Amino acid sequence: MKIIGKVSATEKIPTTIDEFSFWTSKDRILSPFDVVKVVHLDSSTTFGVVEEISHITDTASYLSSFVSNDFGDVSSQMNTHRIGMNYVRARVVGNTKNIYTPVLDGSTVSLADAAEVAQALGLSEIRNKLPCGYIDMYEYEGNEKVTLPVHFNSKFIIGPEGAHLNISGISGLASKTSYAMFLLRSIQDKFMNLSEKDEELKDESVAFVVLNVKGRDLLAIDETNLDLNDKDREIYKMLGMEPTPFRNVKYFYPYSDIGSNTYASRELINSQIANKKASYYKYVYEYDKDSLDMLFANIDDPNQTMDSICTFIQSEQGNFGKIRSWHDFEEEINEYCKAGSNRAEKEISVASWRKFKRICQRALSNKMFAPRVDLANHENRLEEAISGIKKNEIQVIDIAKLDENMQGFVFGDVIRAIYNLKLGQVEDVDESEIPSKIIIFIDELNKYASSDVPKSSPILRQLIDITERGRSLGIILFSAEQFKSAIHDRIKGNCSTHAYGRTNAIEISKNDYRFVPNVYKNMMTRLNQGEYIIQNPVFRSMLNIKFPKPVYKQFK
Amino acid sequence: MLSDMMLKFTQIRFSRGPMIMRALKIIETETGGKSYSSHKYCYDEYASPDQPYEDDQSYAPKQYGETERRDMPKNLKPLADKLCGRPPLFRYFLDGSRRTYKVDDIAYGERIYPIVAGQVGVACCERLTPDRFNVYAVENRLILCLSEVSDKDGLRKKFFDGIKNRINKESNLYTLGLSLSKILTYRDEPDVNYEHKAIAKIHDEMLDSEKGIVVRISNENKLNEDSYLIKDGSIEYKTLKAGSYKDLSVIKNNYRRVVGVSKRFDPEKCVGKKKNNAAKIAELPLYHRTPAFMFESSHSKGEDGAVYLSAWYVRIRESRHTISPFDGVIKVEKIIVTDQERHTGLDSEEIDLITANLINERNPVAYGKDTRWANHLYPVYLTESYIKSRFLSDNFFLNAL
Repeated sequence: MKIIGKVSATEKIPTTIDEFSFWTSKDRILSPFDVVKVVHLDSSTTFGVVEEISHITDTASYLSSFVSNDFGDVSSQMNTHRIGMNYVRARVVGNTKNIYTPVLDGSTVSLADAAEVAQALGLSEIRNKLPCGYIDMYEYEGNEKVTLPVHFNSKFIIGPEGAHLNISGISGLASKTSYAMFLLRSIQDKFMNLSEKDEELKDESVAFVVLNVKGRDLLAIDETNLDLNDKDREIYKMLGMEPTPFRNVKYFYPYSDIGSNTYASRELINSQIANKKASYYKYVYEYDKDSLDMLFANIDDPNQTMDSICTFIQSEQGNFGKIRSWHDFEEEINEYCKAGSNRAEKEISVASWRKFKRICQRALSNKMFAPRVDLANHENRLEEAISGIKKNEIQVIDIAKLDENMQGFVFGDVIRAIYNLKLGQVEDVDESEIPSKIIIFIDELNKYASSDVPKSSPILRQLIDITERGRSLGIILFSAEQFKSAIHDRIKGNCSTHAYGRTNAIEISKNDYRFVPNVYKNMMTRLNQGEYIIQNPVFRSMLNIKFPKPVYKQFK
Repeated sequence: MLSDMMLKFTQIRFSRGPMIMRALKIIETETGGKSYSSHKYCYDEYASPDQPYEDDQSYAPKQYGETERRDMPKNLKPLADKLCGRPPLFRYFLDGSRRTYKVDDIAYGERIYPIVAGQVGVACCERLTPDRFNVYAVENRLILCLSEVSDKDGLRKKFFDGIKNRINKESNLYTLGLSLSKILTYRDEPDVNYEHKAIAKIHDEMLDSEKGIVVRISNENKLNEDSYLIKDGSIEYKTLKAGSYKDLSVIKNNYRRVVGVSKRFDPEKCVGKKKNNAAKIAELPLYHRTPAFMFESSHSKGEDGAVYLSAWYVRIRESRHTISPFDGVIKVEKIIVTDQERHTGLDSEEIDLITANLINERNPVAYGKDTRWANHLYPVYLTESYIKSRFLSDNFFLNAL
């Protein structure tokens, strides 16, 4: 037990049930999030997590420092350095005998060993362990350094006790996608290798739907990352995970006759198709007209005229019941847009139809909107593909090259398809074959669920529904965005787990971070790649964790 | 924690039988006086009977106190700069402090005498590196001072030791885990301020502890030509009637590597051959020292004869930055130990070395914390702060008696 200081309780800053301060020598290196232990009453031990570290001397003022250097002589040297020390503010996270009387002045403070750190942070009694990273503590202490794997209780991240994960952080530096994929890999690993210890999980199964929104990031997640070194493999071993890429992966690329709908190379797609891992997806009018409203997710529609037109079409009013192709659909819309058209309903003006047409026309020019799918050419409809999702399968849907409106359309369609599947509204699917949990991962959540998105947005409505009801239905949302503060309150409020990556000073000044101690907030602006501050109901405080490099191929 | 401690001690006391009494009640009972339960207060909070200066000397610098014969100030900045970066000469820093309290008035016969209490602290700190400052020795004592009239049977030491032992075993000091070190007495004589006499007695006790620590460090061979000790204030100790180290002349050999540095001195008492030297001290240029002068202590004479000291002044702070022209000047004293020194004065090289090292001790300063910052040396300031931090709070001490 290495004693590093003693508790100090003063008139102005007493120790409390929640906090205490202790002094250390000025050369003692500690970091925020380090765990310390204090000898307390009845031979118990109180654990604290370091929040703030301050250095003080007996200098009365800056002027005193100036005077002490011969009135501003920068070359001045001193035989005695000013007496100084560090004082550390720590938050109480537990006591071995549940004694929460404030720790007493003069009590010794020492570093904890790995078992004690786990006990302090509530990591030692976690059931249904799901690796979520590791902690490095006392990094400058040599032999005293503690490296500890950190686990979520799977029931608190993919339900039913708690569900949904939100990851925030600025692009590039936060590695949001990498962390989300690390967790997905961890979940897949867990559910593909359930042991006797996982009795509580034996009736559960998972599947994943991942939307690729950037370049080729997630288009080779079943291929090995050749950059993975021995150190990374050691970390995976410590976490109890295989350092192998994802298994049971299926890729879905937006159909295009000239290959302009995806960043994936023809070779990559062809090889995946040859290995029966990939297919193209299309939208066919007859089956997919019900998703038309998704095209208007980001369109301001205060009078709900677009909504009315969509309903008009989806309920097959007018001649829309007789239409079977996007081409005919466009022609029919044209009819409604003509001046003095007698087809137009009185409630919906020609101007509204014209607005509808403008938005539709651009989308429908995409080759994804096709008359039919050709199974021989490895084409299918996303809804059908999702309906057939198998346990432990990962479906990667590429939307990276689509424009923003189309991305929204596909994403909206995907979550609606998953919703329908889990609600049992899809015919010819054996319920026992449906995975009990389907985890959706979407990056750039702010595009669909920011507080600026129109309240009438069907995607927003769907997302809110998922975060509020998905836990019981088995639909779990893993989402990521640059700025958490921009996300709709009801969505982030329903996430049980939050991961904070590197962010900027403007973001941490927002209300969402009000509950975070100042030092942790400032740390958020300095986090390294591969480092996160996480919050989960199982942990007694926020944790600063690291995670290893991805196990799948990285495109550079 | 204190209440826990009190409860524990109280339980022990009750289990032993005798009733807990207040220390002052025991004194009243044992001395047969009549206590007036007067208002208790700390003298240091009111007008201090202290002298404003650390030295109580009057001398005429008629004899050179160093080997070099010169009358002009000497610039030690070049030597100080040369020594920068080398291990400093001064390793030990000694200071003493006391707080005195009026705790009661007690009547013996027709007269009323004050009972004065004191907390005495003496510490010696050791500088190991610029960042490591350790306590080498520390003494803390609680003292009571009564009139000698209180000894009704003339038993003297035996009588007061009896009272002290009873207080330490049966008073509430015991329950608080405190103990009285000594009971001193002041003489009963007409036309004197008893309180001042009592305070002086307590002050002497502090000086005795200071001397004791110097003797101890010297005996442990900690002081040598590379390891000097700075004692805060004058080292011209009066020869006392009582005390373990009452006679400076007997222990002066232990002061070979000890330098007394006074922050406050009375420049009017430094009289030259014909005129007062105060102006010369006031006009001393920065980082210059005056020539050292030797004088025979008028009140340190003892069994081994007269005690001689060599003293000089050094300006460590520019006068334009200070309030008075004497701020920024420190008075340095060193006891003449050998016969050679007595005849030729201290070696000027040693004086220069001491002075240059003192100049290098000028930073950091206690500016903003201590009004005497311009004359303070930081390691001494730290030692003083340490002693004061160990004192019991005035309220606690006064109510414990």
